[in-house]
Amino acid sequence: MARNRLLGILVVAAVALATGFLVAGQVRAQLLTPSNQVARYQALVRSVQDLEKANASSRAKIASLRSDIDGLEGAAAQQSATTRALQNEVADLRAHSGLTTIHGPGVLVDLRNGTPGPDVNGQIGYLINYQDMQDVVNLLFASGGEGVSVGGRRITPLSSFSGSAGQIVIDQGPPLTAPVRVLAVGDRNRMFAALEDPSALPDLRDREVRFQISLAVTGVPDVKLPAYDSSLQIPHVSTP
Amino acid sequence: MSAPPRRVSSPRRRPKRALEIWLIALLVALVATVQIRSQAEVERSLVGTDTTTLAFLIDDLHRANDALSAEAADLAQRKAALQTGGSSAADQELSAEANRLRAIEGLVPVHGPGIVVIVDASGLQALDLQDAINNLAAAGAEAIAVNDHRVAMGVAVVQTPNGVSIDGALVLPPWTISVIGDTNRLAEAADLMTQQMHSDRRVRQATYRVEADVVITSIITQRPFVYANP
Repeated sequence: MARNRLLGILVVAAVALATGFLVAGQVRAQLLTPSNQVARYQALVRSVQDLEKANASSRAKIASLRSDIDGLEGAAAQQSATTRALQNEVADLRAHSGLTTIHGPGVLVDLRNGTPGPDVNGQIGYLINYQDMQDVVNLLFASGGEGVSVGGRRITPLSSFSGSAGQIVIDQGPPLTAPVRVLAVGDRNRMFAALEDPSALPDLRDREVRFQISLAVTGVPDVKLPAYDSSLQIPHVSTP
Repeated sequence: MSAPPRRVSSPRRRPKRALEIWLIALLVALVATVQIRSQAEVERSLVGTDTTTLAFLIDDLHRANDALSAEAADLAQRKAALQTGGSSAADQELSAEANRLRAIEGLVPVHGPGIVVIVDASGLQALDLQDAINNLAAAGAEAIAVNDHRVAMGVAVVQTPNGVSIDGALVLPPWTISVIGDTNRLAEAADLMTQQMHSDRRVRQATYRVEADVVITSIITQRPFVYANP
């Protein structure tokens, strides 16, 4: 009797579970496919997601290959003084171009979107955009920064910023959106003073007032920057 | 004959059964919620982005992924050469890498196909020049110089009372921006940039030309790290 009762409950639970899935599937289908336009939009979103996955996988592969190469070069340097000298020279060049991790005193800059409000000159003023990032990074380098990363992406001599609305694309990485943390290693006092200077970053300051965009700066005794994990090719450049 | 007695649930069983029904209802609601929210979570980052932006994003990601694949293939080749070639192969790889990085960091003169942009204006600020340099870098610039001053990310382009300076040297208009890279992409970016500049009342002239061999002789003096440690 008790066994039959337990079996009955299990059957009811299984039916309920199946109903739950069906209902959820139905609701989702009705929400998302009322027209071809939405289906097309969904297809675009899926493409972006797939491309972002491939992007992350390629960057991980590049980081791993660079680490392997570093190990092989280190092993070769054990056998020859010439190789060792060359390796030291390349290590310094790699550090300056952002290909290796560095750490030291620096600053953290946290940038957050503000409150939606009327647009200014056709720009969505309350969103942190790629130009804000470009301005902050340029200011940091001009104020004693020796290395900078944005949202975990290391800046190199060839780095560029692009994007639209609130999206920030750095080099070959996927788009970032605020909140974004910028890390910089270098002359902490100079960088801090430059970021706190009310005459610096005029556009951001203006939008801080209008849209409550937030720019918070913190001095830190030891900041660690990641290594650059993307392409650094210059196929069109020749040296004399 | 009397009729068989009807089964009547006992009052003590009712709360138990109600509890079971409530548990099942809760389970159904939970499953439905998890199912809908998990899908919403995945798409949340892109919802609200218009289709044009998504299309541009896809184009950018395709180009980025192609560049990443090329880099990975190049690194795999270098790794294979190091694995089989011993220390002479290492010397060769390291020398090539040193030359490449010196060019990337602007420490040596370079040349190659590219474009030359000329902007004559009064009242343009450091931010305007930074924007122009960033636009060209985003279009794949591999080396840039402005009025024979080498520029790369990290070189200070700042506003001074006398005008714009690059790494401490004053750079007065007209600005001649020499760029090496993929001429198609650079020309496309320069075309857009100069068109926008024409609508700026401060700009007297904004032109560009494609050249088969742009020569950049200026270099950046590397500063050793003072604060950064490996």
